[in-house]
Amino acid sequence: MATTTLEPRASTYRRSWVLEWLTTVDHKKIGILYIANSFLFFFAAGILALLIRSELAIPGIQFLDQATYNQAFTMHGTIMLFLFIIPALSGFGNYIVPLQLGAPDMAFPRINALSFWLLPLGGLLIFSGYLFGGAAAEGWTGYAPLTNRAEGVGTDLWIVGLMLVGTASILGAVNFIATIFKMRAPGMTLFRMPIFVWTVLVTAVLILLATPVLAAGLIALFIDRNYGGSFFDPSVGGNPILWQHIFWFFGHPEVYIVILPAMGVVSEILPVFSRKPLFGYRAFVFATIAIGLLSFSVWAHHMFTTGSVLLPFFSFMTALIAIPTGIKMFNWLATLWRGKLILATPMLFALGFLSMFLIGGISGVMLASPPIDFHVQDTYFVVAHLHYVFFGGSVFGVFAAMYYWFPKMFGRKLNEPLGKIHFWIHFIGFNLAFFPMHQLGLDGMPRRISDYSADAGWTLLNMLSTVGAFMIAVSIIPFLINVVATFINGEPAGDDPWEGNTLEWATSSPPPAYNFDRLPPIHSERPLFYLTHGHGHSAERPDDLERDAEDDPERRDGLA
Amino acid sequence: MQRMVANPRLRKILRGSASMLLMGLLAGCLLPPEPKTVVGRDVFNLYIVVLILAGIVFVAVEGFILYAIVRYRRKPDDETLPEQLHGNTKVEIIWTVIPTVIVFILFGFSMATLGKIEARSETPGVVIQVDGFQWNWIFRYEDGPVVEPSGNEPPVLAVPVGEPVRLVLNAIDVNHAFYVPQFLIKRDLIDLGNNGHDNELEFTITEAGTYAGQCAEFCGLRHADMKFVVDAMERPAYDEYIAALASGETPPPTGGGECTTTVEIKANNTQFDIGEFEVPAETDFCIAFENQEAIPHNVAIYDGGEAIFTGEFVNEPGTITYNVPALSAGEFRFICDAHPQAMVGDVTVTE
Repeated sequence: MATTTLEPRASTYRRSWVLEWLTTVDHKKIGILYIANSFLFFFAAGILALLIRSELAIPGIQFLDQATYNQAFTMHGTIMLFLFIIPALSGFGNYIVPLQLGAPDMAFPRINALSFWLLPLGGLLIFSGYLFGGAAAEGWTGYAPLTNRAEGVGTDLWIVGLMLVGTASILGAVNFIATIFKMRAPGMTLFRMPIFVWTVLVTAVLILLATPVLAAGLIALFIDRNYGGSFFDPSVGGNPILWQHIFWFFGHPEVYIVILPAMGVVSEILPVFSRKPLFGYRAFVFATIAIGLLSFSVWAHHMFTTGSVLLPFFSFMTALIAIPTGIKMFNWLATLWRGKLILATPMLFALGFLSMFLIGGISGVMLASPPIDFHVQDTYFVVAHLHYVFFGGSVFGVFAAMYYWFPKMFGRKLNEPLGKIHFWIHFIGFNLAFFPMHQLGLDGMPRRISDYSADAGWTLLNMLSTVGAFMIAVSIIPFLINVVATFINGEPAGDDPWEGNTLEWATSSPPPAYNFDRLPPIHSERPLFYLTHGHGHSAERPDDLERDAEDDPERRDGLA
Repeated sequence: MQRMVANPRLRKILRGSASMLLMGLLAGCLLPPEPKTVVGRDVFNLYIVVLILAGIVFVAVEGFILYAIVRYRRKPDDETLPEQLHGNTKVEIIWTVIPTVIVFILFGFSMATLGKIEARSETPGVVIQVDGFQWNWIFRYEDGPVVEPSGNEPPVLAVPVGEPVRLVLNAIDVNHAFYVPQFLIKRDLIDLGNNGHDNELEFTITEAGTYAGQCAEFCGLRHADMKFVVDAMERPAYDEYIAALASGETPPPTGGGECTTTVEIKANNTQFDIGEFEVPAETDFCIAFENQEAIPHNVAIYDGGEAIFTGEFVNEPGTITYNVPALSAGEFRFICDAHPQAMVGDVTVTE
């Protein structure tokens, strides 16, 4: 077996538990901080979502006035994207990438700590608008000139908070890129890296290229609002379309920043729980890179109805993204084909990802067609689409990662029956909440409205959607119970509870501060699989493998 | 063995779900409203083609996932490994081609339909300038009357049936979008200043009737209230309606009425000439606003942070008369939205 029994470690000098977590530069602790912080923001933004859905359940203004409603959906979108999904996936990246590479830590541990600590600070700044007369209320896209002219300091806090969060992302991206290119264990060539690492790498490159553009736009917006600038406000000679270009030049790569690591998670889980390698590893890597490249040429498909963009070009480039995405889908399906599927909770969430992300992908291709977009742009159809991508895709990926890597992080397995209850309520609630929105959008219900008239015929579907939203909230209860119960009295996980393929399973659970006492030989993207099942399945000759391992003192001693 | 048992059953399930999807389509599920314009029909037909392609992909993939879950589920005590398939170039090429073909079909159909939507007639039946502002609409007929909102009812855009209607979409303040679901189209209103010109939208309505529309681009506090109604009528009825509008008969436009109280405000050097004014409560009044410089100014009245009246911008030297709806007694502020720091004053509304 690939297990590595660790001698009792020399205890480091003692310091308080709180100080240890506040000052840690260990990528594993920082990863856990990322994830814990993300979930706090997830709950906050989830409560906002429940407020929104409650207000919309029936026609008429119930308990949120328009100003509060507008703040609620603005904060919901901003927090969910920038402070939940992206940081949660970064958290798993932080924890898992160095382990999967056989590295002792990230390349820049202190920058890693900085990029984490900027997040809660930025998030609190964004939220703090509520303390100063109202949070930002212009939508998470902050369109000009509405945002230029919005009164109140809430919008300025939103801008400054986003700048900090963006800075955190950029620092994190640099760190990931450096780690992946420079910290790989001997034998870990680029094409032996786990797919999750590949998706984090492409994501980091996207962040590095796209986020500075957003930061520049936010600075310009801040100047417009506070120092008499005229970038975006037409009444003083600015151009509001410029803001949309800047925002979406960041905003569309951002969609892939959010989805690619989740694709990576799923590509780790499907092979392990199908007991087969990922079908078409190289094609998958190239498809990931292709998506990353194409994502920079499609931003204006968010602007089809502005009348200011070249429709055929952006429509065509957008439709092209369906090709690498389709390849990935086929690769995943072929991985299942003739496998031996183990339907544990991580696998359920991964299969949930496949079936839900598919719907988001299909509606995305529909939206790529300008005539269809003219009808459904800015309606609930778009809201449905983006939730099938972000929630059905990324958030299912986050939960899949949670159930999959929790045993590695804490040495205990989450409870399976509770996990399955969580999955099914989550899955049904999700579809109930978001599928009816497709029809609402086709019927013409615009997004971001606090009220609709009773004779519009939208009441039933809105009510269904609200019920679904509360089901999602209910599904979080077994999840939380599960986490708490597992901490108190969870089943010990052992080093490798899932018979994993990748290096994180070759060390103890949780791993020591320096990660590995020793590393297995790395001759493929599944080093542990070959260690466990012998070399009969490998393309390489067994004697080569063994000689490699014997002759390489660096690997024998690990990198610690 | 097992394959022979599982396959027919699953095939039945697949066939069942495919026919359910078809039935769903027939029942009007996942369909847009029945289109009421000529190009709306083209959009609808395009949508049907796309929906069928989407339905096929959906059923095939979800069907395969379900099939795999049932067919390839590991038996409890089966510790053997399945065949370790790493890939198959031929298969991978085929499934690269499949989405490519779908994408090209979709793109071709889309562009054909797009051409029809963008087509402009030489002689539109009517040209109307649509002014969108926070949070209502004004419809200005070319060489004709101006329809302004009155009371809480959404303003009515009367148009003839069977003739091309051309709208010039003019944003007064922030971005808005003109959207009538039954026409299957929307277009943004964006003030581009000197950086571009207004969007235009052209359609030919096929059936007389009233169609609800509303702003689809989030535009601030009362975005949800920014509604209008398109009233499509036969040409004779339309002509009569417009004549009545022009002579101030039904429905009475609020604009152009007599003002019992008129306040004069001038703007120059990015300053208002007065710092305060007083008007009676519960009475409509007018503001005669003169902009004396080539910098855009307007007059808006705010109750705290909430705009209760927003006057149209005057971009160069010129005058405009704003009809301001009645205010209740209290203290308000008037400001120029472009220069809220420098151009601000107090409004006192007295009983």
